[in-house]
Amino acid sequence: MGGIYALIAVGLTLIFGIMRVVNFAHGEFLMLGMYLAFWAFTLLSLDPWFVLFVSIPLFFGIGLVTYALVMKGVILASHNVQIFTTVGLSTALQNLALVLWSGDFHTVRPWHALTPVRLAGTAFNLSQVVAFVIAVTLTILLFLFMRRTHTGRVMRATAQDRDAAILMGIDTDRVYRLTFALGIAAVGAAGVLVSPLYAVYPTAGLQFVLLSYVVVVLGGLGDMVGALIGSLIVAAVEVAGSYFFGTAWKEIFYFLLFIGVLVFRPAGLFGQRGAETLGM
Amino acid sequence: MSRRLLVAAVLTLVAVTTGWLVAVFAQSGEYKIGVLEPLTGPLAGEGKRHLEGFEIVRDLINERGGVMGKKLSFVVADVPDPTAAASEANRVITRENVKIVTGTFSSRLCGAASEAAARHNVIYWETSCVDPRFNKRGLKNVYRTEIDATGFGWYNIDFIVKHLAPRFNLQPSQLKIAFISEDSSYGQGVTESAVARAKEVGLQVVGGVEYYNFQTINDMTPIIVKLKQLNPDVVHHIAYTNDAPLFWRQAREQNFLFKALVHAGATGYGSSDFGKAVGNDGNGVFALLEPGPGFKVESLKPDGQKIEKDFRDAVQKRTGSYPLGSHQLAGGGLWLLKLVLDKSQSDDPDKFRAAVMSLDLPVGTMINGWGVKFNETGQNSNERVQHYMLQWQNGQLVSVWPEEFTTNRAKWIPLGAWDARK
Repeated sequence: MGGIYALIAVGLTLIFGIMRVVNFAHGEFLMLGMYLAFWAFTLLSLDPWFVLFVSIPLFFGIGLVTYALVMKGVILASHNVQIFTTVGLSTALQNLALVLWSGDFHTVRPWHALTPVRLAGTAFNLSQVVAFVIAVTLTILLFLFMRRTHTGRVMRATAQDRDAAILMGIDTDRVYRLTFALGIAAVGAAGVLVSPLYAVYPTAGLQFVLLSYVVVVLGGLGDMVGALIGSLIVAAVEVAGSYFFGTAWKEIFYFLLFIGVLVFRPAGLFGQRGAETLGM
Repeated sequence: MSRRLLVAAVLTLVAVTTGWLVAVFAQSGEYKIGVLEPLTGPLAGEGKRHLEGFEIVRDLINERGGVMGKKLSFVVADVPDPTAAASEANRVITRENVKIVTGTFSSRLCGAASEAAARHNVIYWETSCVDPRFNKRGLKNVYRTEIDATGFGWYNIDFIVKHLAPRFNLQPSQLKIAFISEDSSYGQGVTESAVARAKEVGLQVVGGVEYYNFQTINDMTPIIVKLKQLNPDVVHHIAYTNDAPLFWRQAREQNFLFKALVHAGATGYGSSDFGKAVGNDGNGVFALLEPGPGFKVESLKPDGQKIEKDFRDAVQKRTGSYPLGSHQLAGGGLWLLKLVLDKSQSDDPDKFRAAVMSLDLPVGTMINGWGVKFNETGQNSNERVQHYMLQWQNGQLVSVWPEEFTTNRAKWIPLGAWDARK
């Protein structure tokens, strides 16, 4: 499960960490990625692994359009306005999916969805293993992009101090647009990759989105590697809690962890001190 | 009185009078009831099928003269959650002026909707939810046509003891059963009654009940690992939506082998969504429901045969398929409402209640082969709401038990290896 959480959280940590926008519609972009995989599989018999290559540019474009139509207008507004806007976007996307594709549960069943991989007495699903590998790869690529490229440095500078970035001649609107589009491309890709594992329906994103926030806070806002490690920690807490105390307890444990991190180390387990207020 | 005040008073009077005239005129040819369904949100799939069942039987009723001499019509409201169920019940009662409210498919919704209706002294007619607390709140005008959860638990254990144990060559006292369930009042109600009944009849209940939230569960592996260690013969799993295919897929991945899985209700394994999600990999799962393909209509009383055939034909015509669980629950419940209104000829709560209590129809006289005998709490007798065990066989849920009512026979007992269930 850690790999799946990481895939979803990487996009969120970008948007949350750099733009400082609490995007409550993140789960709905995941759901749209799942629907893309479902329709491509049902109508064109395309494997989700192939659809992944189409989804990244497609969702990058969707991110750009959403930024221009919705996010640009609220990027400098108060957190309350941003929250109301993204909750509204979330509800609108859910209901759009409901109108277009009904509330029925759909399933994507490529060959790898039913292929178990057995390792040292434990079984994994091949789709899940591949999702994990892609999550790690994507995280490393984004990490290198942020650290090694000029654009990455510009994005980090904007996150740290928007006003100083403007004074240095950085086009912050362009940075936010790129950040949002990258975040949506990442979560769209996550939706495609998890489609063989979970049913596809209009509210499919809800079960992951809150948990992604836990991961992002745990790992440190805007920290890609932190998000990956945070995902593994949340998944481990969840599994251990479920096994030893019962499934009903699992959310209690990871939300206690969430509260504990917010109280004692608000920058996250791996984020640099002050990142929660300043940026990365 | 100033001129402005006079104009305002006249306009108000005109508006009120017009509204009243419109309401009277609109009601003269038709009789409206409120229908609350989850048409959006996680229960939307079943909610829509449930509404479809209501609409099909509404048309059957209108072809036969309607109710109380009027054409039956619906005021439909979307109730995705309990808050919406209460507020929409209030709205249809106060704004649409309905005297009877029905719905709601789900045990998550029926409690809130019926409380709201009861506050207005309006009749609440539930056709599907099975929450055992529903009829234990002392609400005089609240009725339920469907079995309650204790009945589900009782039927399931009866099936396991009478049908499965002999096929496993086990005495009931040798049979190990494990319980997992989603944690709403539906899952808890069915599971608690099944656990109690299992202990009564001497089954070995292994482990505690594993409860989980169906809306947030995304990994069943920890439960499956625990169950593997307990090694049960039968898994009793009450699932709601996505949790059924998730458990089944992960049980297969983990190569968790057991002899049978038994569910109850039109959700989870009892929903057509399960078949779509897992295809023939779902072969062998049991779900307690209304009658499915293979059911012998001739086993019903003559009245029951006629209406059951008409209902099936109408569903076939509209959907192209055999009635699904949600169609049957809504259809059976609405037809029973028509029988009550035929008798009471009134929606006055006291006259309506007298008509409900006077109905005494044996099993086999209604849609789904149900009978009718309400008790003082407004619950149709569990014994009269005959249920049947269905099994997934090659992508279709078919009736398999009691065997005297069906031409199909249960297969894969015990369930073999995962790849051998063809």
